[in-house]
Amino acid sequence: MSAHSATDKFVYHEPGLQHQFEDMGQQEESVTIGMWMFLVQEILFFGGLFTAYLVFRYRYPMAFAAGSNHLDAFWGGLNTLVLIVSSLTMALTVYFAQKGNRSMQVILILLTMFFGSVFLGVKAVEYTDKYNHGLIPVTGWNKKTPAAEPGAHSAHSAKPCYEVEHGGEHTYVNPHGDFLWTDCSLVKTAMDGNFLTSAEKAGYFDQAFAPGAEISADKFRDKVRIFFFLYFVMTGLHALHMIVGLGLMTWLLWTAFKGYYSAEYYMPVEMSGLYWHFVDIVWIFLFPLLYLLGRHFLHTH
Amino acid sequence: MSDNHEQHDHMNIPKYVGVFLVLVVGTILTYYAALVDMDSIFPGANTLVALLIAFTKMAVVMLFFMHVYWSKRLIWLSAIGSFFWLAIMFAFTLQDYLTRSEGVFGR
Amino acid sequence: MQASDAISTGYGSAKGNYLTNGSTLASWLLTKDHKRIAIMYLVTVSMFFMMGGLYAAAIRLELLTPASDLLETGTYNRVFTQHGILMIFFFLIPSIPAILGNFMLPLMIGAKDLAMPRINLLSLYIYWAGGLLTLYALMQGGVDTGWTFYTPYSTTFSNSYVMAVGLGIFINGFSSILTGLNFIVTIHTMRAPGMTWFRLPLFVWAHYATSLVMILGTPVIAITVLLVAIERTVKVGIFDPAIGGDPILFQHLFWFYSHPAVYIMILPGMGVVSELISNFSRKKIFGYEFIAFSSIAIAVFGFLVWGHHMFVSGQSVYAGLVFSFLTMVVAVPSAIKMFNWTATLYKGSITFDTPMLYAFGFMGLFLIGGLTGLFLGSVGLTVHLTDTYFVVAHFHYVMVGGQVIAYLGGIHYWWPKMTGRMYSEFWGKISAMLVFVGFNLTFFPQFILGYQGMPRRYAAYPEELQVLNIFSTAGASVLGVGLVMPVVYLTHSLVFGAKAADNPWMLPGLEWRTSSPPPTENFDVMPVVTWEAYEFGEENGLDLEAARRSDVVTA
Ligand SMILES: [Cu+2]
Repeated sequence: MSAHSATDKFVYHEPGLQHQFEDMGQQEESVTIGMWMFLVQEILFFGGLFTAYLVFRYRYPMAFAAGSNHLDAFWGGLNTLVLIVSSLTMALTVYFAQKGNRSMQVILILLTMFFGSVFLGVKAVEYTDKYNHGLIPVTGWNKKTPAAEPGAHSAHSAKPCYEVEHGGEHTYVNPHGDFLWTDCSLVKTAMDGNFLTSAEKAGYFDQAFAPGAEISADKFRDKVRIFFFLYFVMTGLHALHMIVGLGLMTWLLWTAFKGYYSAEYYMPVEMSGLYWHFVDIVWIFLFPLLYLLGRHFLHTH
Repeated sequence: MSDNHEQHDHMNIPKYVGVFLVLVVGTILTYYAALVDMDSIFPGANTLVALLIAFTKMAVVMLFFMHVYWSKRLIWLSAIGSFFWLAIMFAFTLQDYLTRSEGVFGR
Repeated sequence: MQASDAISTGYGSAKGNYLTNGSTLASWLLTKDHKRIAIMYLVTVSMFFMMGGLYAAAIRLELLTPASDLLETGTYNRVFTQHGILMIFFFLIPSIPAILGNFMLPLMIGAKDLAMPRINLLSLYIYWAGGLLTLYALMQGGVDTGWTFYTPYSTTFSNSYVMAVGLGIFINGFSSILTGLNFIVTIHTMRAPGMTWFRLPLFVWAHYATSLVMILGTPVIAITVLLVAIERTVKVGIFDPAIGGDPILFQHLFWFYSHPAVYIMILPGMGVVSELISNFSRKKIFGYEFIAFSSIAIAVFGFLVWGHHMFVSGQSVYAGLVFSFLTMVVAVPSAIKMFNWTATLYKGSITFDTPMLYAFGFMGLFLIGGLTGLFLGSVGLTVHLTDTYFVVAHFHYVMVGGQVIAYLGGIHYWWPKMTGRMYSEFWGKISAMLVFVGFNLTFFPQFILGYQGMPRRYAAYPEELQVLNIFSTAGASVLGVGLVMPVVYLTHSLVFGAKAADNPWMLPGLEWRTSSPPPTENFDVMPVVTWEAYEFGEENGLDLEAARRSDVVTA
């Protein structure tokens, strides 16, 4: 590891070699280990959120299934594919950097940036959709629509929350921009099938749980709101990492365009690649966990 | 130390595209698997399948896109180690939640 | 002083040192030299330590009388919270790694600098940014949640500056992560020729273990504090039970970091003590591999025990049992260290210089601190002792009796190397003994108070507990004097101290083979290591007789 000899200190300095290192090999090894330690740190950083997700999904599977079903798996799946393509272009960027091919590097970095931006664009579409439907968990942050006529608001909540027809167009009434959630049909199904968890029995009902008990729309909404809170924090933090990644790509584009990298010196390209792939991996987990799990309830019951 | 330069001959464009195709297939697979009710086989089967596919995709990205396959043991160790630590966090948190009502002394 | 010529293996420089290499403000603020960064850390960390100490003084003064008279209860909450936050996040965690580790690690392994000097500087600036934000919050009125930020009090009910302090800690966390990252890379790639893993000084092993904990644990507290901050801002989140959240989850996430964090604080201290015990016994350390691997074992097993902070929180009984058992297990590697240190002392030619006095202090106090930790780690007993002064005494025995004492020992030990000046050995010994006596007088009564049921975090207490509290406050005054003295005589030595030799203690370590203070690039010639760690003897050019003579001179 530290096999550099004692004599080569003042021999000559290769371009890009920092003063504390003896040779390029030592520098490359240091940078690689450093980058991986950074990624380890990132994994544990997201890990806290995944732990929270795990705990709440274990407790309130129906609320989470309800939330998952409300996300648009088409957009989520599309974004997964978009990120995978960008990962491919990133991997190829590194490949061409190793070959010292400047023009392919520039083209592929541009493509990576393009797909990264598409990802963020889709994310913006999804967030807007949530805004329009009162699914942002924070009171006042949703689209505000005054009550259409007096009494419409109360009529809305008079119906038991599990009697919502899917596909039916109901009017969006949300004078304060609240988090809106009126559909607890899944709980009803789960209750009839007798597979509510004990935490759910305690968490969704006003009175002690008994067969045929009335579901509390408010209490159930709170649990679904936790799903959406986690959805926004997790995807938001991921999107933030994408934005940082795009900044990194901009810098990389400039330096690659200037021809800084060669077959001998391409560490920055490789390290940026590691970061980009890491962000991709986070999404590889977010997609099934947030968009897909619990979807089979809708399709079978 | 200086062997970084040789390792890249292991990958070429067809191989990168092959890895990409595996990832695309995995994505499509995980979507359709989520629509099938496998929980009737045993509880949590859907979750398990989704996670297995996700882990496979992650492994492919790490091994080939991130060149872990040709990296030093320390890189393997940090990749595996970080997930081991995640597992510690999950397992030791869950050992509380999973045994809340039926601990060894019952309730 | 001339005795240092006995060592012919000097790699030092005659051309000047890191302190004389530039004297402008920019040459300090933009430096990439690990030694200058360490000095800047030393100044800032000391300031935070003094602030934390003032809060401690306020606590002890309030507890002199049973009634809440000096401080009103709300103020008292803020005072002990800020004492905890400043001491833990801004003193204990950065002190040894960022000051002594930063300065000594490259010297000890024969490197020109850390592997990432710019990242090192960045971590200092991040520390400053986090510190400034926290100070701002303290000026505005502070925070009253306790340093643990338990939810839902911190997210929902507290009216203090939780956000600002939380973000200060969030930012500061990245300073710690970057330092750890830098150390790991440095130890892997920057070792001089011949410096194999098992020739590394144990101080370096301890820092390797510490860095692992920093990288694996700190991001979790960062995300947790971020979640608290979000929840506090938008009034929605996952920790408030009133809206379906779970406060116990916060405790899991918090202690996933904060238990290992006590190892961030104590492991470097153990590293310092390993150096001191071996070097001042002039004897090769006993069981090198055991001490090295016990550091790694502590870093790993330290992650499996966090639930011992949650025995009475509503955590399941089963989880409590598992965490309790593992807590007993994690005591084993610490005990291994204690045994090996003791064995090292056996038949050593021990000298009682100031650093060694601190090392002895550490061994005694850490022993008590560690063993009382076992009391608190047993599920049954803890029900009685949780949140009493027994806990307070326990962790002060570990944190002050362990970490702070080791830190002071390290500062004295390396002071000649860092500054090129000798401090006054006379005053050093006096202050070391004052610290030891004052510390015991402060905290031993608290064990009894806690056992008698005095809860922590209250400004008032029943009258029958006053006597022991008076003892404690009296001890705190002695401790305070003992801690202020080094500030005075160390500062004094900067100007009036005798010029230090390159190797004033006559030791074999690589850091003693360059000049005092070292040149900017540490060694003029790349050193080649041909000796094992702590190898005393003629073949190293080290003359034990000369060493004894120089001890007589310095004493
Ligand atoms: Cu602990």
